[in-house]
Amino acid sequence: MAFNLVKRALLYDTKAVRNAAAIYYNTARNHWNYQYKPDPYPKTPQERAAAAKKYGLTVEEYQPYPEDMGYGDYPKLPDIGTDSKDPNYPYDLPDLKRNFNEPIHASAEIYGEDRYDPSGRPRFSLTHQWTWFLGAIFGSFGLYFWLDNYKFGRPVTIKQYPKDGPHYMFCEK
Amino acid sequence: MGQIMGSFNARNVDLYMDDKPTFEPQEGFNFERKQREMIAKEEDLISARIPPKFRDYCAHYLLDYQVCRYNKMPMLYKCAHEKHAYLNCEHDDYVLRMKEFERERRLRVRENKIVGVAA
Repeated sequence: MAFNLVKRALLYDTKAVRNAAAIYYNTARNHWNYQYKPDPYPKTPQERAAAAKKYGLTVEEYQPYPEDMGYGDYPKLPDIGTDSKDPNYPYDLPDLKRNFNEPIHASAEIYGEDRYDPSGRPRFSLTHQWTWFLGAIFGSFGLYFWLDNYKFGRPVTIKQYPKDGPHYMFCEK
Repeated sequence: MGQIMGSFNARNVDLYMDDKPTFEPQEGFNFERKQREMIAKEEDLISARIPPKFRDYCAHYLLDYQVCRYNKMPMLYKCAHEKHAYLNCEHDDYVLRMKEFERERRLRVRENKIVGVAA
């Protein structure tokens, strides 16, 4: 990835060398996993203010997860599914309905547009769904047990084998 | 519909698919019925490894067909006549079973009527 970016920058950009150096520096020096790791849980007001500033939130809206959950100082953001966000707002990243530098929810994977939306209104109520589900299951069972007494087969007697003999045709000898 | 109701209403005389006929084979006939004869020999069927399931009154046609398959392999289309003869025989066998079923049903209905009149 980084190599391709550098190659393209060198081939097509007039400020090729500077851009390539910037991209190389950025990919090599600023994207280590340990840098994504949240800091320890903030205990003092100063630590809270520092954490809020780090995540681009005001001190009032900053609220960390409980300490025993192990999220450190990561902010607890409102549970809003991407599907419930305004589709007409001019986002910086319209595909994710997200602005640049906007903090990401700790469970962002599940709140994607194609996944779960906690504030979404289901098309059918839960009662409705259960009624149809159980109705189909027990309705089928009911039909099965009821129709059990009305089984019928083809109008034939048992197959004739010579060992069960003698058997007769319906014509004269 | 006819073929379904044929067995559905037979429940009224407690007759179902694959039941055994219970009446005397000659009862109600003014002639003597022809007995079915088994043409294929048991030893031949065993020798040809025909499964017991297929050792019915059509087994000699099946034997012909299998012999033909053995001889003509892989030109199996050359055995079309043997296969047709076998399947025709099986069809007639099935028709015979249907006739037996209908006979059984009518005889039971008749018996019920006679008992009802007597009672």
